[in-house]
Amino acid sequence: MTEAMPAFSLLHPETLDDALLALSTTPESRALAGGTDLIVNMRRGLVEAPKLVSLARVPELKRFETTENGLVLGAGVMLADIADSTLVREYYPALAEAAETVAGHTHRQVATLGGNLCQDTRCLYYNQSHWWRKSNDFCLKYRGEICHVAPRGKRCRAAYCGDLAPALMVHDAELTLAGPEGTRQLKLAEFFNEDGAQANRLKPQEIIVSVLLRAPRGKSAYGKIRQRGAIDFPLAGVAVLADCRKQQTTFTIALTGTNSCPILLNDLPPLGGPAEADGYFDALSKTVQKSVSPQRTTTIAAHYRRLSVAALAARLARQLWEEGQP
Amino acid sequence: MNAPDAKTAPKAARRHAAGHPTPLLDGVEKVTGKAIYTADMNDADALVGRILRSPVSHGRILRIDTAAAEALPGVIAIVTGADCDKTYGVIPIAMNEYPMARDTVRYRGEPVAAVAAIDADTAARALELIALEIEELPAVHTTRDARQPGAPQLHDNKPGNIEREVHHEFGDVSAGFQAASLVREASFHCAEVNHAQMEPHAALAEYDAERDRLTLHSVTQVPFYVHLTLARCLDMDTSRIRVVKPFVGGGFGARTETLNFEIIAALLARKARGKVMMRLSREESIITHRGRPATDIDLKIGLDDTGRITAVECSVTQAGGAYAGYGLVTILYAGALLHGIYDIGAVRYDGWRVYTNTPPCGAMRGHGTVDVRHAFECLLDRMAREMGLDPFELRQRNLLQAPTRTLNELMVNSYGLGECLARVKKASGWDARKGKLPPGRGLGLACSHYVSGAAKPVHWTGEPHAVVSMKLDFDGAVTVLTGASDIGQGSTTIVALAAAEVLNIDLARIRVVTNDSVITPKDNGSYSSRVTFMVGNAAIQAAEELKRKLLSAAAEKLDADPEDIEPGEYFHVRGARQSALPFREVALAALAREGTITVKGSFTCPPESQGGKHRGGAVGSTMGFSYAAQVVEVSVDPDTGQITVEKVWAALDCGYAINPLAVEGQIEGSVWMGMGQALSEETRYQDGLPAHAGLLDYKVPTMVESPDIEVHIVESIDPLGPFGAKEAGEGALSGFPPALANAVQDATGLDMDVLPLSPDRVLDALRKARRKPARKEAS
Repeated sequence: MTEAMPAFSLLHPETLDDALLALSTTPESRALAGGTDLIVNMRRGLVEAPKLVSLARVPELKRFETTENGLVLGAGVMLADIADSTLVREYYPALAEAAETVAGHTHRQVATLGGNLCQDTRCLYYNQSHWWRKSNDFCLKYRGEICHVAPRGKRCRAAYCGDLAPALMVHDAELTLAGPEGTRQLKLAEFFNEDGAQANRLKPQEIIVSVLLRAPRGKSAYGKIRQRGAIDFPLAGVAVLADCRKQQTTFTIALTGTNSCPILLNDLPPLGGPAEADGYFDALSKTVQKSVSPQRTTTIAAHYRRLSVAALAARLARQLWEEGQP
Repeated sequence: MNAPDAKTAPKAARRHAAGHPTPLLDGVEKVTGKAIYTADMNDADALVGRILRSPVSHGRILRIDTAAAEALPGVIAIVTGADCDKTYGVIPIAMNEYPMARDTVRYRGEPVAAVAAIDADTAARALELIALEIEELPAVHTTRDARQPGAPQLHDNKPGNIEREVHHEFGDVSAGFQAASLVREASFHCAEVNHAQMEPHAALAEYDAERDRLTLHSVTQVPFYVHLTLARCLDMDTSRIRVVKPFVGGGFGARTETLNFEIIAALLARKARGKVMMRLSREESIITHRGRPATDIDLKIGLDDTGRITAVECSVTQAGGAYAGYGLVTILYAGALLHGIYDIGAVRYDGWRVYTNTPPCGAMRGHGTVDVRHAFECLLDRMAREMGLDPFELRQRNLLQAPTRTLNELMVNSYGLGECLARVKKASGWDARKGKLPPGRGLGLACSHYVSGAAKPVHWTGEPHAVVSMKLDFDGAVTVLTGASDIGQGSTTIVALAAAEVLNIDLARIRVVTNDSVITPKDNGSYSSRVTFMVGNAAIQAAEELKRKLLSAAAEKLDADPEDIEPGEYFHVRGARQSALPFREVALAALAREGTITVKGSFTCPPESQGGKHRGGAVGSTMGFSYAAQVVEVSVDPDTGQITVEKVWAALDCGYAINPLAVEGQIEGSVWMGMGQALSEETRYQDGLPAHAGLLDYKVPTMVESPDIEVHIVESIDPLGPFGAKEAGEGALSGFPPALANAVQDATGLDMDVLPLSPDRVLDALRKARRKPARKEAS
């Protein structure tokens, strides 16, 4: 028998204010976007949410428009629309590429930008059935006392596995959040925590409204380490942005899947001329290796995730640099 | 697909129905979503069945208290091991499993109790209320641990956790190695894999308390085994049981054995005096397992200076899981199928099937041969390189000559391997491209074979090995009745094509009724690729019998000799079409003699096909082998270790393609399944807990990984096969992993001894090789 879906009530507010009101009046309620993460976790008994507030009918979350500040993407925009957007493909290619790598085609038709950013962290000891976790005395992230990944540690090591966050981070994306205390802006890079049990800094009953992308500072690309070319979450993922000037190229790199939150490397030394290139990219690979700390949260060995994503980061950086050369 | 070469193909006659690419008869229902699978059946008045499973790998059950669960409103019945004291198992001499554990649990996930409740929520809550007290025992999850001195013992009557040992020697092995000029050894490890059939397990059981009758609908490949097992475990007369197989969404061996949930559903239905729907989750389906065991292979091959194989020594250890299941057959197959593909001077085989505290293994597509074939074809390739021989040339020097009997008394009447090799060599551009591809890209070759049905069934009854009935009635329709289970492989279509061919009539006149024990004749089941050969031959015989009756009736009407009459949609005297009689008119004339006509055809494998007299000699015995050769082209990413399969050329000798479209599909499916095992599929246990028990974590390839597969059908026309046909569904599987590994070697220089060649393993090997000075520089 497939796990029975727990009973819940479902609200369909039609404005942002109504959505926030619905969330704040029932503290145990959860916001529901595409449901590709939340519903699966509810079914597995990982989330108890007797009331779900659907964001599907809230027009503010559907924005997909260019403003004087830049491109505004509502949190409810579908991943498929991001992947297919010629605008995103031209100016923020890492984002389009990242969106295209998420799960399968049918998921991308319902999964949203906001949902992807707020995706729950993942771990082989956590994303299991009730029977499985109960047989294993549960875990620190949910109902248990110890982290099976790092039994002596005090915090959950589950990995953040959203594909979009690093792509948005290299483009210095800003979030607009709304909650009971009003609206606020936050850099995406400041949105996350290095804690598998609580990977983001959303306040209770707060939601992401939109993401702002300012004019791009360079060309970007996204690469994903996974065993299969579809369906899989990233074993690790990397977005690279190259700001190619005459004298030097500056790289910004962000990674996902390696830690409990995405990792941003934005103070990398610049690359001067072609003579330095080979040594530079070797060193860049080593820097990435040192910057990430994958844990035993997947069946594939952690050191593979570290090595392969570092090599992929250097490869993407080199490709962007080569494309930027006159 | 490439049609058989006109030049080289044997004399396959141009036929009326057989040999034409024919969409599967049940394809319409499947692609339109109208097909009713077990889990889709009407459960409006059914209770929900759910299984409570062991949380530990090994333990003694001290107490199961169901009182609180029984008191929960909406709980109708609860069963535990106490409700069934009968063991079951597919091999009559090795039944050592209870539907629900009685005293001891031996793997995490083993059923210990089950609930029937009015809805899923109540059933789930009831499971939580069952108090299960287990004294945990030390467990062994690998063969290495299981074979340690002092290791915990899973079964009292099997010391050392050895379920079955096999020691076979054919020919003079030491003399063979002495005659060899090159002897090489290698050890391989192949991970355990699961069938991952698309449809999760399900059973619908209905007990008629007034009449003491039981009806079970299930996902089985072998309804006959389920029928016998239900009778045994429920202690019911077989005549009171009805087993129906609806549409099945894949089996691949997972459903050859009767499975615990089928028996548990029936036990619950009887206790609840009603109807129980049991739908297993994907996790439970994977825990039920019966897949290919984790296997260690030590292999030694001797070649003389002409490249002929003088001797082979092979030892195999399989981690079989907690119960016997098919185990002894698997470990015997692994040795028996060292034979039958090449002309080998002498063979020694030592096999150990070992009990471990993991879900029981069983039959899986390419049963027993896949991992051994992988080792064999990899080592052969390495030796070809060392001898400076082209891999094709080395294999060509070791071909058999049919008809022949192998050292272990297997019958080989047709043999198209040489033709398969020629076809893929040419198609892949091997001579022009091998060794000339850019770095990171490579080509690899391997050969494989598989039985066309086990010539000696495990349930020995003395009955024919296949029976097909046909009915002709007033409507002029030909109804074929068969117990052969179409599990997606296309057997129903084969049976219809055989009848249409013999009677020379339209396929549309024929209906095939399958798999209902009260209607269709018993069939031994869909396993070991037996159906086309055995059921196909039985269908031909039944159709011949029907044809004889029709010709006789037509002869009377046409005032001619039956032998001069051509049957078909219109019967006519040969050379005289003007006096043609429509089929129905002939049918009514035949019916006027005896009423509704029912005929029967049967097929029995002759004694000479049933293997040698040595212990275990029946396993591997068959009416004929399919043969395959395939070339795989890969590229390997040096940074991530990721392998991309760029193209596959696969040739299969299936004797004769009764339905070339289905043969093509079966070859592609075999290649694809072999690719999964080669690239990414493996089970992973965390202290006995399956970390792979979902399609996200069990890495079946996706469409993205699916390469272009160029299929070549080779027809060797087997003298005993139906129209010359042999099996087509398994033979091409076991060649893929070694062809891939050989291609990876070509691309990277790495000889890898493990499966799957997952990116982490490849990257580790690449890094290790980079740390060493490159061989060329050193020399």
